[in-house]
Amino acid sequence: MAAGRRDWLRPFGELPPRRRLTLGALAFLLPIGLWCLVSYVPFIWHPMIKVTDPGDVDWMSRDQTVEGDAFRTENQAVVARGGHVARGLPTNPVFLPAPHEVLRALVTGFTTSPARPDEPWLHEALLHSIGIIFWGFLISSLIGVPLGILCGALPSMARLTEPFIEFFRYLPAPAFGALAVAVLGINDAPKIAIIFIGTFFQQVLVVANTTRRLDPALLEAAQTLGAKPRQLLWRVVVPGIITDLFSDQRVLLGWAWTYLIVAELIGVSSGITFFINQQAKYRAYDRVFASIILIGLIGLFTDVILASIGRQIFPWARTARAGWFSQAMQMFKRRERPIPAAAVSTEITGEATTTVSASEVVS
Amino acid sequence: MSANAGAPEAIANLLDYRAQTPEVADRFRKLKERPVILEVRGLVKDFAVRDGGTTRALDNVSFRAHRREIMCVIGPSGCGKSTVARILAGLEDATAGEVLLDGKQVHGPGPDRGMVFQGYTLFPWLTVTKNVMFGLELSGEHSSATAEEEARAWIQLVGLHKFADAYPHQLSGGMKQRVAIARALAPRPRILLMDEPFGALDAQTRAQMQSYLLQIWKQVDVTIIFITHDLDEAVYLADRILVLDAHPGRVRELMEVAVPRPRTPEQFVSPTFMAARGHLQELIHPPAAQAQDRIPMIRMTVVGDDVE
Repeated sequence: MAAGRRDWLRPFGELPPRRRLTLGALAFLLPIGLWCLVSYVPFIWHPMIKVTDPGDVDWMSRDQTVEGDAFRTENQAVVARGGHVARGLPTNPVFLPAPHEVLRALVTGFTTSPARPDEPWLHEALLHSIGIIFWGFLISSLIGVPLGILCGALPSMARLTEPFIEFFRYLPAPAFGALAVAVLGINDAPKIAIIFIGTFFQQVLVVANTTRRLDPALLEAAQTLGAKPRQLLWRVVVPGIITDLFSDQRVLLGWAWTYLIVAELIGVSSGITFFINQQAKYRAYDRVFASIILIGLIGLFTDVILASIGRQIFPWARTARAGWFSQAMQMFKRRERPIPAAAVSTEITGEATTTVSASEVVS
Repeated sequence: MSANAGAPEAIANLLDYRAQTPEVADRFRKLKERPVILEVRGLVKDFAVRDGGTTRALDNVSFRAHRREIMCVIGPSGCGKSTVARILAGLEDATAGEVLLDGKQVHGPGPDRGMVFQGYTLFPWLTVTKNVMFGLELSGEHSSATAEEEARAWIQLVGLHKFADAYPHQLSGGMKQRVAIARALAPRPRILLMDEPFGALDAQTRAQMQSYLLQIWKQVDVTIIFITHDLDEAVYLADRILVLDAHPGRVRELMEVAVPRPRTPEQFVSPTFMAARGHLQELIHPPAAQAQDRIPMIRMTVVGDDVE
């Protein structure tokens, strides 16, 4: 590899594409590898014993999981009495399923009918949760984004609203749970309200700050071209911040997800939270893990989709904070066909190419 | 005149910067017969300073610019030349004094005074064409089809028709400023304010841009107020040069540039050019100030290790 060892540690250094990809893959492979180690290598952790043959121990039975210490104490007692020792294999506690078990649960999760007829299927639970997030985030954005832009653009608006919002955002959203139930009932409405409270106040402040970062020279230029205040807002402020606003919304959507579990515990527990709790009651921890991983996958997938949408609709934004996935996709695309952009750029950088055209104009 | 032995000054001594050939004198006579487009009367600008007082950036600045004149504003740093441009553009309010455009007082920014800034201020989300259309669309007088047609003509004028659909980030610095000029000219302003527009460009591109600007100016009915700190640029471009003093900014002189038009880069070494430049040099960096430019320094190398 051309890049030396020193490049790894250079602050703000640039990563070659291949190394980017490798490190991005390692980001997932390392924790999974660690999990595999703990799960599959018998002498790492494995504090429990799964009984294969109870021997002469009265209270043990086949396939029972016993604390390692208890197992050994009993066997010593059995040996002292001169009976058959119990046999078993070291295993991990039930709450740490092995990767393959979780993978199986992921695959079979959608095809396994619920334990009781009144419980939701996995996909029903997930869709319900996505619905809560969608409505909470949508309502928050419909009010929060315009308000944030106004706060950023108009100092009077900022002064009128931001001190209160600064105060309110420190109030933890779950604290409003009981109130939300009292006002909005026990079904979905209070859950959406919690997502809203958790997102809205941050959203106003984040969007306002993004708006304030707009280059003031652009506003001045627009004014010298005759832009009136309203035109400044619609033709300069909004398009000027839209790419950053889009990134903000992606981050904020992630925040909204973190409020989901708390929100769904309010009133009648529902959605993926209810599903996870039920599986934990049945000690089906593989399905608990699978559900948690699904939440992460949905979040990651949404973000990747949004990022690629962003690149489609904002062609002027050269680097719209691309994630690993989209970068990988771009690398493959680049390999497939030579980009015309390269041909254009050589033409663009040469001032000389346009000299001819300028003289045409004058003659 | 100073006793300096520098080459420009030596020539300046031989030739009076005021000496005009009959053709040049005739041109100035005609220029002054043209209507006054911009009149600035008694401009004063005070800035608030930290301890609650004020500091005077501009003091009683008055001048007139005639139709299709190029007037350069030059002065040492701190003379408030950028402030003049910003007040003319309406981006800042004057503490006292008035700005008259075609005899009417102006308030706030407006499309009758176009501006090209030193930094790149193209709208990054718009293509070159859409950037140039921006001012045309705001007025509401043009349908978007005629606005686009007109924008294309302006882009053609600055020689960038090949890049009509490019985004600003795909353009070089010089090209960006050409688009900025086209964008400022498109709404047909009465005056074009240029605040050190080529200051961020490298020397070669800057020279190219200066000749572009002269070419564009010949094709368009616009009066140009050009702010710069570059003496050569001022002499090369200007009909007249408004020289400002610093602290506070006052008008030192309104100088007529005797270099004949059309201007070419070869004139940089002509006696008239050198005389004009030498005079500016004298005004802005007087010999007394130059003597103080040598700052006392400690030697950081071994004695005897000399480079000169």
